[in-house]
Amino acid sequence: MTEVLADTAPGESVSLERVPDDDVRARLLRLGFLDGAVECRHRLRKGPIVLRRNGTEMALGADLAAEIEISHARADR
Amino acid sequence: MSCHETGDCDVDADETIALVGCPNVGKSVVFGELAEQYVDVSNYPGTTVDTTETAFGDAKLTDTPGVYGISSFDEEERVTREIVLEADAVVNVVDATQLDRDLFLTLQLLDMGIPTVVALNMMDEAEADGVDIDADALEAELGVPVVPTVAVDGEGIDELRERVPEATAPASTPVERWFDELPDDVGASRAEKTLIVEGDEPTAERVSSGAIVADGGVPALTEIGQREDVYGHRRRRVEDVVGGVLSREERDSSWAERFSDLMLDPLTGTPIALAMLGAIFYFIGVVVAQKVVDFLEITVFGEYYNPIVEGAVEGILPAASWAEPIEFMLINGNLGLLTITVQYIVGVLLPLVIAFYFVIGILEDSGMLPRLAVLTDRGLNRIGLNGRAIVPMIVGVGCVTMAVITTRMVGDRRERLISTALLGLAVPCSAQLGVIMGLLAGLGLIWWFGYLGVLLLVLGVAGLFLDRTLPGEQTPLVTELPRMRVPRPRNILRKTYNRTKMFLREAIPLFAVAAVAISALEYVGGFAVIQRVLSPVTALVGLPQEFARVLLLGLVRRDFAAAGMTDMAFTTAETFIGLVVITLFVPCILSMVMILKERDAKSALLMWVGSWVVAFGVGGLLAVIL
Repeated sequence: MTEVLADTAPGESVSLERVPDDDVRARLLRLGFLDGAVECRHRLRKGPIVLRRNGTEMALGADLAAEIEISHARADR
Repeated sequence: MSCHETGDCDVDADETIALVGCPNVGKSVVFGELAEQYVDVSNYPGTTVDTTETAFGDAKLTDTPGVYGISSFDEEERVTREIVLEADAVVNVVDATQLDRDLFLTLQLLDMGIPTVVALNMMDEAEADGVDIDADALEAELGVPVVPTVAVDGEGIDELRERVPEATAPASTPVERWFDELPDDVGASRAEKTLIVEGDEPTAERVSSGAIVADGGVPALTEIGQREDVYGHRRRRVEDVVGGVLSREERDSSWAERFSDLMLDPLTGTPIALAMLGAIFYFIGVVVAQKVVDFLEITVFGEYYNPIVEGAVEGILPAASWAEPIEFMLINGNLGLLTITVQYIVGVLLPLVIAFYFVIGILEDSGMLPRLAVLTDRGLNRIGLNGRAIVPMIVGVGCVTMAVITTRMVGDRRERLISTALLGLAVPCSAQLGVIMGLLAGLGLIWWFGYLGVLLLVLGVAGLFLDRTLPGEQTPLVTELPRMRVPRPRNILRKTYNRTKMFLREAIPLFAVAAVAISALEYVGGFAVIQRVLSPVTALVGLPQEFARVLLLGLVRRDFAAAGMTDMAFTTAETFIGLVVITLFVPCILSMVMILKERDAKSALLMWVGSWVVAFGVGGLLAVIL
């Protein structure tokens, strides 16, 4: 079963594997959010999810988070 | 009209230097520190994006909208791309606390071959975070000057100014490996080639249209783009550079981080947000829109300015019949060009504009806005908007005219349209709300809740309707959350001043034209005709014909309409219906002018007509029910 970003709990570290929307993917890539593990900082109920990487925080709307596929990062990062 | 169109800029120079950086890296502060004199804010042609220019030695320094990279994802990026492509050199402001994020843009500029100087800003915050950056090593890695700065304190600015002429770019960068994909005879600069291999369609189309199309077999330039490869490769180079120059010590989380966490948790964030919005409403809606504006209107204009100007005009113009229309235009009691129009602009608009830009400046610089957007995203999704639309809605309760300007920050065209339409339709402004609240208080608490309920219902239904009918799709929320900071007063005041100046320069001619047009209509007896024509409509909502006069006043200013209601002997139900109708009815003349300026004529007209239909539709329905 593929996991999506919307299922992530705050505090978890995940890698964004597949971002279907071209523009959103390019924007995340540019900011380094596809380079490796990112931390899930907050998840609002049925609302946006906040990710963090090297001190940069990004908020993604719920619909978007539901279509981004993730994998759990190994603990070595 | 902006100086780009006319060509006669106040800032005149052959060479242009662009200030480029990600959002919230202190770019406008660096700009303010580098600016030697007069600062010129203008609208970039064909956009709602403001750019700022100033003289810098013999050159012209242009501030650009903050972007994370040079491409075309939104209007800001397109403006920045155009300015960068035309610039002779770039000062790239980099946030030292976000080196890894910001160097993507830096390396992109260098790939494009644009002579660059890097201002490594916010060195103080980086140090507080335990981040140590070796600026000399970074300079060696990038091959361009790197100047550490703390722009808010003016540190490093002199050195930056001295080193701007050293701006340079490496003769060759790894992006060139993708240039092989391009046809040999493509007539494009290195910057354009970089953008084309990154799949930037506007650049590809422009270069294609200028080139002689070779015979078949050559792929169209728009199809060459390999954005992900190029971006991915650049990201890996960024990681390498950062690894070589940056060392990090773990520190405890700062107050800013803890406050940010509180803001983003709905349990604690909602009360904080409500308290803040309450404070904003109190400041704009009560202190400024009522107390300050009342003082200016009643005392300064009512007692001094208007009588003096009226006396002077009557004294100068002869008592001949030909002078009568001129006198009417200049000093009539409804919208005279020299009296009431000036009163509206200086006595009403100016204080509101200043207060509003001041508040927006604080919200921007503190990092509150995107956090509010995160909190409200889910609710606003239902009416076709994303969380960023919260700001216009809140400001709208203060002043709809001001709120129309903030729709710029909402996202794409579709969302701007929805939020503007909702503002014009169902958000009462504070001036009107004061009078309405007074009238409703006389009716009883139950009517007050009824009024609120009807408005929220209309807002929800209208939002749903627009979301379903407008073409296109809702854009999801994708926003960076900048670090929270205590705003610097100097920067807030500078922004407020520049934006107010720019606003007045554009708005004053529009209002003057509108005032003359309405006065002319009144002079030729248009008002009486309109009142007669409206009588079937007032009958529809079960109100006497005098209500048409209230509506006419509402065309000029919404609180006039509300105030006009107080003079009329209506029954409870009639008063309630009347208040609902004047709230939903067309926005005031100032708001309409702003809507016209910010959107296009067709949307403005549709919104105007739509307000009539909805106001009387809902009013008629209430008349049947009550």
